[in-house]
Amino acid sequence: MPGDSLDVLHGTLDLLVLKALAVGPLHGWAISKRIRELSREVLEVNQGSLYPALYRLENRGWITGEEALSNEGRRLRIYRSTAAGRKQLAREIQVWKAYAGAMQHVIAAG
Amino acid sequence: MSALSNVWVRLRQLVAPPAGNDAEGLLDAEMRYHVDCETKDRIARGMSPAEARRTALRDFGGVDRYKEEVRDLSAARWIDEMADDTRFTLRVLRRNPGYTAAAAITFALGIGLTTAVFSVVYGVVLRPLPYADPERLVAVWETHRARGRDANVVSVPNFESWRAANRSFDDLAAIVPAPATLGGEMPERVQGAEVTARFFAVLGARPVLGRGFSDADATEGRSNIVLLSDGLWRRRFGGSDSIVGRTISLDGRPFTVIGVMPRDFVPPKIGWLSDQDLWLPFVPNEQNRGWGRFLVVIGRLKDDASIATAQRDMASVAERIVSDEGRNTGWSARVVSLAGEMTGEVRRPLLIMLGAVGLLLLLAITNVGSLTVDHIRRRHPELALRRALGASAGRVVRQVMTHCLVLGVIGAVIGIGTAVIGTAALVAMLPPEMPRGGAVRVDGTVLATSVSVALFAILMLGVIAARRGIVGERDGTLAIREAAGRTTGRAGAGGLVIGEVAIGVVLASIAGLMVQSFINLRDVNLGFDPSGVITARIQLPAESYESPASQRAFFDRLGRQVGALPGVEAVSFATTRPFACCAPATSVTLQPLKSDSATADVRYVDSAFFAALRVPSRAGRIFASAESPDGDVNAVVDETLARKLTAGRLSIGNRVTIGLSGGIDATVIGIVGDVHQADVRSVPRGAVYLSAARFPSTVRDIIVRGRGRPEDLVPGMRRELESLDPAVALAQVTTLHDAVGASIARDRFTATILGLFAMVAIILAMVGIYGVFAADVSARRKEIGLRMALGASPGAILGLLVARGATLAVAGAVIGVIAGVLLSRSMSALVFGLQTSDPGSFASVAALLVGVAMAATLVPAIRAAKVDPMEALRSGA
Repeated sequence: MPGDSLDVLHGTLDLLVLKALAVGPLHGWAISKRIRELSREVLEVNQGSLYPALYRLENRGWITGEEALSNEGRRLRIYRSTAAGRKQLAREIQVWKAYAGAMQHVIAAG
Repeated sequence: MSALSNVWVRLRQLVAPPAGNDAEGLLDAEMRYHVDCETKDRIARGMSPAEARRTALRDFGGVDRYKEEVRDLSAARWIDEMADDTRFTLRVLRRNPGYTAAAAITFALGIGLTTAVFSVVYGVVLRPLPYADPERLVAVWETHRARGRDANVVSVPNFESWRAANRSFDDLAAIVPAPATLGGEMPERVQGAEVTARFFAVLGARPVLGRGFSDADATEGRSNIVLLSDGLWRRRFGGSDSIVGRTISLDGRPFTVIGVMPRDFVPPKIGWLSDQDLWLPFVPNEQNRGWGRFLVVIGRLKDDASIATAQRDMASVAERIVSDEGRNTGWSARVVSLAGEMTGEVRRPLLIMLGAVGLLLLLAITNVGSLTVDHIRRRHPELALRRALGASAGRVVRQVMTHCLVLGVIGAVIGIGTAVIGTAALVAMLPPEMPRGGAVRVDGTVLATSVSVALFAILMLGVIAARRGIVGERDGTLAIREAAGRTTGRAGAGGLVIGEVAIGVVLASIAGLMVQSFINLRDVNLGFDPSGVITARIQLPAESYESPASQRAFFDRLGRQVGALPGVEAVSFATTRPFACCAPATSVTLQPLKSDSATADVRYVDSAFFAALRVPSRAGRIFASAESPDGDVNAVVDETLARKLTAGRLSIGNRVTIGLSGGIDATVIGIVGDVHQADVRSVPRGAVYLSAARFPSTVRDIIVRGRGRPEDLVPGMRRELESLDPAVALAQVTTLHDAVGASIARDRFTATILGLFAMVAIILAMVGIYGVFAADVSARRKEIGLRMALGASPGAILGLLVARGATLAVAGAVIGVIAGVLLSRSMSALVFGLQTSDPGSFASVAALLVGVAMAATLVPAIRAAKVDPMEALRSGA
């Protein structure tokens, strides 16, 4: 169903943000754009939940945010993932794989 | 980790609010940038600019809503949460009126009583004296080690020598009480004092109207001048400014008013000084230099002098008086702080009271704490649920802290109300002679202290409760399951019981000592019978009763007329009734001049004195009703003096020399029983009675024994006095019973207050222990049910709980007795007629508290024994 985007599944946003930042530091909008691109335009981050998620991740020490200026001189924050964030990403990926695998079995059954 | 960084982020935002605002601004900019980027992106994908902007904004949602959500995590949320928690706490408190009332009232009681007692202690002991640089003010006494005098009043020559020779004082001043009859339409006895010219300057006090005394007054011989107190000025002269320069009559002589002291001037009440309504100049002269020791001396230390250096200086000055002037052998001088002197005797009992009320506060906090812990325990499932639903541990702790804070504020508000009422009640109960009673009030300092006490209490409470409130970092559902059957925290509960019993024992044993001491004082055989006796002082105006014959005639007639009143049994006139202030004492020597000499009180009494006071005669006779006004002097001595002079071999007819007015030789005509002359505590030191007829005076105490209520005789006495001379006033009217009572009023006060505290403490301990055990039993319902299901009998369950209560109570009692014994050591100067380590009283108090604790255990224990095992096991979780 190309063209139709999916809202991000509850509980997976952390993984997506950490994954998006795994490549390099990004600002908020770029993160949502990166997630869209990485998911081949399928996953649409509900922007409203992006910023609270960024704050939450920052509070947990998984990412850091730094004030910066855009090319046009606009104020923005650049986020980068920390060592703890990268470890967390690995954990999240494991959990997700287990979950997705289980889902696969359930769907394939019968 | 996450909680820590949370706190860090918030701290940063709190300590740097501009950065916080900036963070907000940054958030704003960031989101706007997001929308702009999104808009551009959509334009790039082919939307019209307007369409792109509209949809980007729509998809983003209201910018503000998300800002709100983000802000949630920042400092501003704390305040919102606080308000939420407060509202929530109020709801919880409203839903649990029993718990709320018990906790708030206990809290208020603790804070209120502490503040009230502190206000008294502060006013009397701690508040600086109302003089300029009060810490430099001292009193200087004469001392005589051999006679055991450590604060003797001072003779005029010594005062003059001290003043001339010392190097430690800016100045020394002297004051001596001088009661007088203030003439006018209503003659009135007033408390006056004679002061040396520099007296007010030493205190740093100045008249508010007119002028003070000057050295010129003394050198130019102006002695008929007077300074009025604010009180007397307002009461008798309407507070009129024209008083300065007016002439008033004192003891029938004219005095010119030169000034009025300010309203807030408090005369120093030390030694034998009482309240003062007016001041007259005291000028040393040949006459008063021979009067012996009677001056109260105060001084102001030089800036470079301390009490210790002044003491050394004065000791050497006193030595030089002995060596250079060849007089004053055996006497030295002692320098003490004026503040200490003004509050010396009451300092210790008041500090003990403060300590006691502190313990009471501790008990109250403990009780509120145990009530709250139990309350929190019952809320454990709820708190665990909150944790499970995602509330952080910090959030739950904050909620519990808010709970305590709200409770504390309610308690503090009621407590401060209680404090104001309590202070008023305490002031009303203060013994009349309590120094500086007027300085007791609830003011800023006292309130600040009580608020800090309240804050401290809240903090303690919060710490106790919060420790219980944390369900921990564990999995929420596990916590819920565990919380319902939770039996932990028993060690803490045991500690509470031990603490409550121990504090109860300490308070009750200290109170017990004071009460027993007061009873001992009350039961002292005074040597006379104070019941049914009314006394008053009569001072004849000197100018109309100049001759001894006229004085004698007046008192004779008054005695006959009052004696004829219905209900009067006996009328006597004497200088100084028992328990009156300040009568002479001197040395009495057996003749021929042997070394046998003793200090004795001197009293001038008439023939009816011993009968009126029911003082028993031991040997010889008392004065005849027609004692000769001339010729040989007769003396009656008491048993103690007789024993001291000749080891009991003094016989009737012996001659003694009494060290008054250059030595009075007298024949001993009789021996009477010992009488407590001035107070209940001190053992009579010996007394010699001389005939009032032989030594007439314008001042007499009238002592009337009646058959009914002695107060009822007063109107008749006034009538008879007025019929003889309307210018003569009846002053210091009191029953002897009241006079004796007033002398032990301080002990009564201490005993009453401490007794009250002990009662409150026992009640608090009982309630607290009951609370702890009731909570314990309800928390262990399941365990008890299980035990019973496995075969334990109700009796065994009862025994188990009672034994646990008894063990804790005995442990508390042991700790309490040890603490009580240690504390009571500092009280040995206060108690009368018993040892502070009296084992009997400690044992009985300990037994009482253990009994109270057992009683408090019994009800929950019985309830436990009645637990239906099946029901208990089915219920819960």
